[in-house]
Amino acid sequence: MLTPSRKPSLPWARRLLRVAVAVWAAVLPPLAAQTALPGHGAYTQQHTEHAGNVTADHSKYKVLQGPFKDGDGSAVTRACVSCHLKAAQQVMATKHWRWRPEAKGLEGYGKATHLVNNFCISTIGGNQEACSRCHAGYGMKDQNFDYNNPDNVDCLVCHDTTGDYEKIKGGYPNPAVPLADIAQKVGLPTNQNCGVCHFFGGGADATKHGDLDDTILKAPRAEDVHLSKEGAGMVCIDCHAGSSHDVGGPDYVVPADRREKPKFAGEVASRMSCTACHTEAPHQSYILNRHYRKVACQTCHIPSFARGGMASNLSWNWSSAGRLKDGKPYEEHDSRGFEAYNTIHGEMTWDVNVKPEYVWYNGNMTFLTLKDKLPGVRPVPINTILGSYGDPEAKIWPFKRHDGDQPYDPILNDFVAPYTAGPKGSGAYWGDYNWDVAIKMGMDKAGLPYSGQHGFVTTSMWWPITHMVAPKEQALACTECHAPKGRLATVKGFYLPGRDHGNPIDWFGWALVLLTCGGVSVHGIYRVIAGRSRRNS
Amino acid sequence: MTRIVLYSVFNRLWHWCQAMLILLMALTGFEVRGTFHLLGYLRAVNLHNAFAVALLVLILFAIFWHVTSGEWRQYIPTRRFLGEMIAFYLTGIFQGAPHPIRKERTAKLNPLQRLAYLGFKILIIPVQVTTGAFYFFYPQLNNHGWPAGSLWLISTLHVLGAFGLLAFFVGHVYLTTTGHTPLANLKAMLVGYEDVEEEQH
Repeated sequence: MLTPSRKPSLPWARRLLRVAVAVWAAVLPPLAAQTALPGHGAYTQQHTEHAGNVTADHSKYKVLQGPFKDGDGSAVTRACVSCHLKAAQQVMATKHWRWRPEAKGLEGYGKATHLVNNFCISTIGGNQEACSRCHAGYGMKDQNFDYNNPDNVDCLVCHDTTGDYEKIKGGYPNPAVPLADIAQKVGLPTNQNCGVCHFFGGGADATKHGDLDDTILKAPRAEDVHLSKEGAGMVCIDCHAGSSHDVGGPDYVVPADRREKPKFAGEVASRMSCTACHTEAPHQSYILNRHYRKVACQTCHIPSFARGGMASNLSWNWSSAGRLKDGKPYEEHDSRGFEAYNTIHGEMTWDVNVKPEYVWYNGNMTFLTLKDKLPGVRPVPINTILGSYGDPEAKIWPFKRHDGDQPYDPILNDFVAPYTAGPKGSGAYWGDYNWDVAIKMGMDKAGLPYSGQHGFVTTSMWWPITHMVAPKEQALACTECHAPKGRLATVKGFYLPGRDHGNPIDWFGWALVLLTCGGVSVHGIYRVIAGRSRRNS
Repeated sequence: MTRIVLYSVFNRLWHWCQAMLILLMALTGFEVRGTFHLLGYLRAVNLHNAFAVALLVLILFAIFWHVTSGEWRQYIPTRRFLGEMIAFYLTGIFQGAPHPIRKERTAKLNPLQRLAYLGFKILIIPVQVTTGAFYFFYPQLNNHGWPAGSLWLISTLHVLGAFGLLAFFVGHVYLTTTGHTPLANLKAMLVGYEDVEEEQH
């Protein structure tokens, strides 16, 4: 039966309800975000299943039977490319090959060009042969390396699954490496493939990054909840996903979680952000979720870096290098066994479990290069992190700060690229300990002007911390930051509850309260005295 | 002796709930400010927000009650006896002078109370509720173009309001002792009525 013109009862109540629901929705964490992520070893299982699904068996291919001449990596590459026709061409377009991101408009950045750091300083001053152990190619000995020869592409450094592959100077395979055996067992890159270079940045394990070292390969869950086999059991390329051999990664345009959104449902724009898996609201608490706007996940979830027992280098003073004992180079170690002095390096400091420093960071940095004039500030900031509180793209990020000093040209006021890695008699600093010669040779090889005079300048560098994510139980407590002398004590430009008190506003407030207390006390005491004297009289 | 009924059951329930919530919000709020550590930071934040919702609900009920019962009229400011009240607190109270105002069911507040409570209702509480809501929804406001520095202003006003409430609380508690006996007003607020000697007026 129809009711004639039935009005909705209490329309205002419905509206009120709708508003209440909207407010509630803003306050409550989205329930969809609470779906559990794959836990203990889930990824390990997935990787095993994936390996079982592969349709090719490389051990059966004739072209991979060899024998290959000892150390002849190019022969293996030619064999690979005979099936994987485009593979070498693809690799040759990537950062692992080019070492210069000029295609992204960043000419001058990249190891193959004029980039400088305050560890080994620069590759192009004659050090390519040593540095190219970490180049995904064969034969990068100097500036004349042929970037267009596909035979020079090193397939095995990324695809070796045996762990037996090893590169020597010039980027060639160690002649002792069993090339045919390795070629028959190729597979997807493992953490070891990536780590063989990325764990050893700066010349030795854990030296440069602080959040990457080879303890990750056997990390307990507490060290790295993602990469640990006790944790998710992930591999590097689960996040650093790529296509056409271009492995996802920053390449000097660093993604500070660039708030990338999928272009269509299901598309993963970038897996190199926590939110790609965890969403933007992964906590139960609205209060915690709202931190996402201004605080990188890493800030709370990486309480310290170098947590695997390997110490990371925190300072490197080149100016103190070259001391000799009885005419000979020497090394000294501190009480914990870390290298405190080495004639070829100078003084160094190292540490484990280092608290990061925190900086507003919008995902972009600028770098000083060998071609830039040095600014007047000391220490010279080799890289400058961009971002501020008012920048909607910026978040508070954890960084490893690396201090040091290094040679520069005080007349031309720019950095120099010394020739460091070479034997005695070559003129290289590590052979002859003569800065004048080493810098002159380096700048000649780099094709850069040098006044002939050198001095030393203090420098600082900032390395974003993003690996070694700790289990949630180890995430920072509120008062690590919400406290006057907490981790964010020096991160200025905004109001931070718990930190910013004890200022004139509080003094005014407490004065008001105390004056009121004083006023009523005087009034009350006077009342008592007056009442007593009234009763007495 | 005459028994004057002053405060209805709802009036008293509202008063004491509000008092308790404001005190708890001061406690948790100043922990969030960083003045002391007591409950733990996250718990303090969450409790502060929960108490805020409870207080808002209570205030909505109270507004409804004020409107429907006509009690709002009790807060209309008046200059009648205002001078006498000020004089009483400044001099008369020390000389044992009688209270210049006689409370009635329809005039339970003296002119100073009317002024103070009206200010409380239309100034301090709205400022705290508004700045508190702005604080809570600051991320959304920031999305809608509120400048980055506005959080500082919001929080400063909220904190100043909190100090105002604290000072109000001190004065309020003290002034409860100025009835015909020190505990008379407190008792009236608890039981709802006051026994007054007839010849007082």
